[in-house]
Parts: sequence; C-alpha cells; structure tokens
Amino acid sequence: MAAYIFRRILYLIPTFFGATFLAFLIIQMAPGDYLTQLELDPKVTPETIARLRAQFGLDRPIYEQYLLWMNNLLHLNLGYSFAYQAPVLEVIWPRVVNSMVIVIPSTLLLYLVAIPIGVYGAVRPYSLGDRILSFLAYVGLSVPSFFLALIAIYILLQIKFKTGVLLFPVSGMTSSGFEQMPPLKQWLDIAWHAVVPILVATANDIAGLSRLMRGQMLEVLGQDYIRTARAKGLAERLVLYKHAFRNAVIPFVATLGGLLPSLISGAGFVEVVMAWPGITPFLLDAIASQDLYVIAGFLTVSLVLLMVGNLISDLLLAWVDPRIRYE
Amino acid sequence: MKKALVLIGLLALAGAASAQTFVWPQKWTVAKPQEARRGGTLRAAVISDYRTFNPFITAEAGNVPSIISGDRGLVTRDPTTGDWIPYMAESFTVSPNRLEITFKIRRGMRWSDGRPITADDWITTWRIHTDKAVGSNAYDSFFLDGRPIVLRKLDDYTIRFIYPRTDAEAFSVASFAPWPAHIFGPVYQREGAEGIKRMWPLSADPASIVSGGPWLIESYRPGERLVLRRNPAFGEWNRDEAGNPLPYLDRYEIRIVADTNAQLAQFLVGNIDVFNPATVDHISQVRQAIQAGRLDATLKVNASPVASSQFMVFNWNKASDPFKQSLFRSDKFRRAMSHVVNRQAVIDIVYGGLGTPMYTSVYPVLTQWVNPRVPKYEYDLNQASKLLAELGFTRRDREGFLVDSRGRRLEFNLSTNAGNVQREQIARLIVDEARKVGVRVNFQAIDFNTLVGQLLSSGPDRPFDAIIIGLTGGGLDWPFGANVVPCNGNLHMWNKSGQCLDPRETQLDALYSRGRAELDFQRRREIAFRMQEIEAELLPVIYIAGPNYHPAWNNRLGGEHPDAIISSIWGQRQLELTFIKR
Repeated sequence: MAAYIFRRILYLIPTFFGATFLAFLIIQMAPGDYLTQLELDPKVTPETIARLRAQFGLDRPIYEQYLLWMNNLLHLNLGYSFAYQAPVLEVIWPRVVNSMVIVIPSTLLLYLVAIPIGVYGAVRPYSLGDRILSFLAYVGLSVPSFFLALIAIYILLQIKFKTGVLLFPVSGMTSSGFEQMPPLKQWLDIAWHAVVPILVATANDIAGLSRLMRGQMLEVLGQDYIRTARAKGLAERLVLYKHAFRNAVIPFVATLGGLLPSLISGAGFVEVVMAWPGITPFLLDAIASQDLYVIAGFLTVSLVLLMVGNLISDLLLAWVDPRIRYE
Repeated sequence: MKKALVLIGLLALAGAASAQTFVWPQKWTVAKPQEARRGGTLRAAVISDYRTFNPFITAEAGNVPSIISGDRGLVTRDPTTGDWIPYMAESFTVSPNRLEITFKIRRGMRWSDGRPITADDWITTWRIHTDKAVGSNAYDSFFLDGRPIVLRKLDDYTIRFIYPRTDAEAFSVASFAPWPAHIFGPVYQREGAEGIKRMWPLSADPASIVSGGPWLIESYRPGERLVLRRNPAFGEWNRDEAGNPLPYLDRYEIRIVADTNAQLAQFLVGNIDVFNPATVDHISQVRQAIQAGRLDATLKVNASPVASSQFMVFNWNKASDPFKQSLFRSDKFRRAMSHVVNRQAVIDIVYGGLGTPMYTSVYPVLTQWVNPRVPKYEYDLNQASKLLAELGFTRRDREGFLVDSRGRRLEFNLSTNAGNVQREQIARLIVDEARKVGVRVNFQAIDFNTLVGQLLSSGPDRPFDAIIIGLTGGGLDWPFGANVVPCNGNLHMWNKSGQCLDPRETQLDALYSRGRAELDFQRRREIAFRMQEIEAELLPVIYIAGPNYHPAWNNRLGGEHPDAIISSIWGQRQLELTFIKR
C-alpha cells in the first residue's frame, strides 16, 4: 500500500508540470492581453501601454513567462494579479472562503436529500411518489442554476410587493450596518442571506445525484445475494440498509475525494446572479480582463486539489470495497 | 510660559477656525440649505469590485481613491457653466505668455489625520505620478507632445504649473487630486516606485488610509461592500451657503453587485437609493413600480445622451486588395454607407426608442461643442443607390448584388466584438439595409481582443474591412481625441499608414493642434465647428447612435441637481450636497 501511494505521488509530478504548462499555454493563446482594453482609451499613449507591458513582463516569450511563474510557484507564490497589484493568494482567498459558506452546506444538504430520494425511488419504482420525484428531477436537471436564481429573486420580489415582507434578501451576503453588529448577529445575518443561494445551488445537483443513487440501488437490489438474504427470511429493513444500501453507496464514497476541488471552485452562476461575493464572479472578471496569474494561480490550486482528491478517492475505495487491493 | 502656551493654542485655534472655506453654490442643487438634514446613509451599487486603495496604481473608473478624494484638485468645474473655478486653490493667475499658472493654495485645509494640506502634497503626488516605474494611469496627462508639464513650489501655499506650450486642457491637469506627502514621500524616498506600489492594498487597515476629500474608509468587504464615513476635516473648509459643514451624510455605502438584474431588484425593494437603468426593460420595471405605488422614487427618462459613441470604420490600408482599398478610401462610398445606416431603426430597436443619433465625433451630450449645421448623410436608400451608381455599380449579379463593369461584386466583411448584443444588433440592421441597395455585407462577431488587435494594427495591409466599435472619454475643454485625430495617432483607426492620405485628414490634424493650443473658448469652438464640418464631409468613420442616460433615485434622497444640469456628464447629484429626508 505504501509503495502504491509513493508511486502515485511520483506520477503526480509530471502530471503537475504538464497540466500547468498546458493551462498557461491555453490562457496565453487567447488573443490580446490584460492591457488590450486600455488600448482603446483615447487618453493613453501607445508608449505608456508598451511600458506597462514591459513592467508586467507581458512582452517576454511565453516559455520565459512560464519559467518565471514556475519558479515563483516552487516558492509557494502563485504570482501577482495585474488588476489588484497584489499577490494572487491574497486576493483569491477571501472569495474562496465566501464561496464555502454556500458550497459546504449545499454539499451536505445535497447528500442528505438526494440519497434518500434515490433510495425511495429504487424501493418503490414507478410508484406515484417515484414518478413525481422523477418529474421534479428532470425539471431540476433542465433548469440552469442562474435561471433558478432569477426565479427565486422574482418570487421574493413578488412576495415583498404583495405583503411588504422581504422573506429573504434578494442578493448579497450581509446587510448594511453589518460591521456594527455583535458577532452572533453577524453569523445570523450571513446565514439569512445564504439560505436562498444554498437552496438554489443544491436544487440542480439533487436531480442528478438522486437519479444516480436510484440507478445504483436498483442494480444492487437485483443481485443474487439480495434474493438470498430475502430468502433467508431477513427483515426487509435489514436487507435494504445493511446489504443493499452499503453496496450501492460505494461509488459515492469513491467520489468524496473529488469534492475537494469543488470546495474552492464556487457555487457557479448563483453567485453572479445573487451578488454573492464568491469565487465565480471574481474568476469571470479575471478571465474577461485576462488577469493572467489570477487564472493560472486558481487553476493550479484546483489542479493540486484534484490530484490529491483523486488519490484520496482511490484510497477510500480500497477501504470500503474489499474486492479492491493495491499491490 | 503658561501664557505663551495659551497664546500659541489660541493662535492655532484661530488658524483652524479661519480656514478659507469653499462655499458650495446653492444653484448646484434643488434643495435650500435650510431643508438639508444631517446624518443618514446613502446606499449605492457598482458593477465591479474595487482593486486597490492606492491612488497611484488604480486604473478602473470610479475607483476608491477618486471617491474618497472627491476627485478634485486645485480647480474644479462648475456644473452649471462647465467653467473651471478655484477649489483647493483660493485663486490663480495666468502668466501673460499663458505658459504658467500660479495657484494660491487655500489655507487651513487638513488631511484626515490632522496634518495641513500644502504645496508639498501636490509636488510629491506629481513626482510619483510621473515616475515611469510606478505605472500610474495619470502619467500621460502630465506630458504635452512628450514634453513634461513641470510643477514648482514657490512657498508652502503657492504652486506654479509650467507648460511646454499653451494648452486648452491646462486646467484639467491642475485638477488632479493631491495625496499626503507625509505618508507617501518617505516611502518613495526610501523604497522608490516598488515601495509606492505596495502601499494601500485592499487588505490595508481602513484607519490607515488618509483622505483630504469628503470621505474616509470605514470598512471594506471584498466583493461585497465599501462603507465610507464623513471626513470631519473636509467640513472645516467645505460649507453650504448657510455655513453648514459638508457632506451632510454620515455614511456612503457602495455595494458590489455584479449583475444589473440584481441591482434592479435591490433598487425595487428599496435597498439601494440610486440606480441608472440602462435597458428599456429595466426602465419600464422601475416606472411600473413607481406607478403602482410600490416604490417611492424618481425616474428621469432621457435625461441626456451618454458620453460615448458607436461607429462603423472602414480600413483604408488594404494593399492586398486594391479594389476594396480604393472603395474604402472613396468618400462617395462612405457617404453611401452612411445613407444605408438607419439610425432611427437603431434607436428604436437597439435602444428601445431611448437613444440619440450621431453624425460627428463630438458626443451629443457636449451641447456647447456640437455644430448643428454639419452635413448629415441620413438614412436614404435612393441616395445611397445613386452614389453607388456614380461609383460605377449599376448592374446586379444573379443574386441581386451590385457589380461594377469588370464584374467585381460590391461586398465587404463587417465585424464587431461578440457578446456586445447592441453592436451585434446594429451590425445586423446594416446587413439588412445594405442588401436592399445591393451591397453584400458579411457580418461576423469576433472576440474583443482580436477585434482590437485588427483595428489597431498598422502598415499598408491591415486584416479587416469594416468594424463597428465605440469610444468613450473626451473632454469638455476640447472634445477631440489626442490619439484619434492626428494622422499618426494610435486610434486613427481608418488609416494607420502613419501619414495623412487625404488632404482633409491633414487639415483636421492641423486644426486639432491649433484648437488644442487655443485658449479663447469662442475661437476654440469655431475651430471645433470647422473640424466637425470636415469630419462630416470626409466621414472617416460613420457615426451611428448612442444610448441615453436615465437616472433614478429613491425619494428619501434630497439635494439632486436641477433638471438643467442632470446629465451623463454631471450625474444626478453632488454627493456632498445630498441628504436623507427621512
């Protein structure tokens, strides 16, 4: 096992360099750079733009820029943001933390809701309840999250217009006067703002995950050992939860490691539409303005987490599935 | 000894009390000074997050340093006249040769940390802005034709600006906001540009940010909210006509809301006080909410055009395709294309009826500068066909497109940046109208940076036919772009061969220099009128139309501008004179 882990870590090194170089190359292949926007400003001279380009190192060949950046990375420095003129980690980190306020509860909620729904659908396939849940799942799958967020805002606005009561905030993460609140009230304020984004972020994923769970469970329930267990006269509850569920859930355990990068990757367009100061709007901004090292730095962190997550997944799988052995 | 101390104390007090005040004119607001109330918070929203608190490296519009400083310097503009008036200067004198302006700095002004504001602050700020290694966005504004504008301190409260030549925009240079020399000076001396660049990042303690303007930073939450509070030192020398210190507001809170729909929602539920709806849909939602009594707010539809332009530009440098090159260089062809542009349809369809047509480079909002008598090649397909026939395009091919005697089809490619829905719509309208007169236009939306790359490429053979794009910026002192008009300018987009190709380009180039150096407003305006006439004749670019400005505000706010000055140039209000009614 130890040898396996060691080998896996060794493999990660060339993967890391290959992937970062590819990412860097792709970002650089996009036409123009951070200063292109400035070129259309009638007040800025071309000489100034050339000077800034030299200052940012954007006039050097790509391989040179990559090597410089790599050198920084090896010193645990993700580089410098052009727009913020500050270290990338310093500007990215507060956004990642904000995103986690949505991503962590929504992930927990996702598993808490999706798995029981999937199990229910598998135990009573094609029943009325299963059909209703399936229908809702397909609707959930087909409505994009940003649109769901817009619908949520619309509903909140209508309630406010009809009753004068604002059930939940239409956007943002904190109320005005937040800084003056006592700590407990600050926590509650953030929680109050987070409810709708969490629900919206979860709603989409529930559909997919519950369908997957339903399929897994149906497959396991059709296995011989389940029939044997039932034939032995085991209580249905024990058959379902001790034998079937434990086996059906294995693939999900294996994906737990993969959650690691998704923790920092934000809640997607929900954040943009609901003005949640997470990583998604920040990254979109960086991509639009070609803030090279912010994009590259974020990709690198995601990459490392993805690699570590995959390793954990494999180990978890070996742990839960007795059929797997790494020699 | 004790008596002497008391005397010194009294003198100091007298010094502070006798601060030479700037009185904010009553005519800048609809409210009477006795109506104004003190206190309260104004809540606004912006689209994109702030990048830094550092005034020397900030690059985006509406940045934190310009908000807290009020973006004013020795002089500021009177919004009712557009004239420059002394602001942080108490007075100024212009030398007889008009190359030097000497400013007497107001006494008694203080930084928020209590230190006096003196000539040193301007000198240090200028030094840092003009250090190449700092990379300040203001760098270029301190040079004229590559020669530096020099600042000289005569004494603590007198400063002289020395210009290499006379310049219509001389006062605009002197309007830059000063920053505290006692904060930036020592760092600059010790660590140079690198030290300056590291100062005042967003992670800096708000209490360490010193301001000479109306606001201090109270708190900042990345991507979420900037909260500013009144700077008491500002009120010592900024007063209304009744003698009340300004600003009236306690706080100014700016939320960062990246999505305009979310901003609209915030305005509709009364969470933000000011909002400028840009689309017809947003305007009608605000209007409905007001009419249904769900929102107590004021909406001024079509307050003014916005200060930006949308235009189509043809490439004069196409050595690889002499047919197209001669076509694009022909003013007859460009006039025909101007007749093809249905500006009213653009306004109706793209801007929902809320826009303004454009015929020259001067933004319609700059009313003093617009020459009303320039020739306008308006939408007229018959006229377009006639001009094209004069160019030899009389026959049509099997697909119905015009061809010349040698069978060459009248066809060109038109592109704009993908994702800009309004420009894409304008392009499609042009494609349709052009087809009616037999011109085939192949439209393609491409990446913004690729587009800019094509547009700004230079030499005899550039890689595009025609592009739709827009510009913003352009001053009240001289409404033409320094990079646009001169033939070697970086934004002389139609012809980047580096030299004038048409005698009218040469004429424009010369008139630009003359106007820029002309200090008499009337004479300068005559030159500008002449330039617009030539522009309209030459049509180096075909101006189309621009959207209008529609400010809205919650009626809990008082102190907006009188209607006559609400515009995209002056905005809906001066924050200093804004107050909360309830």
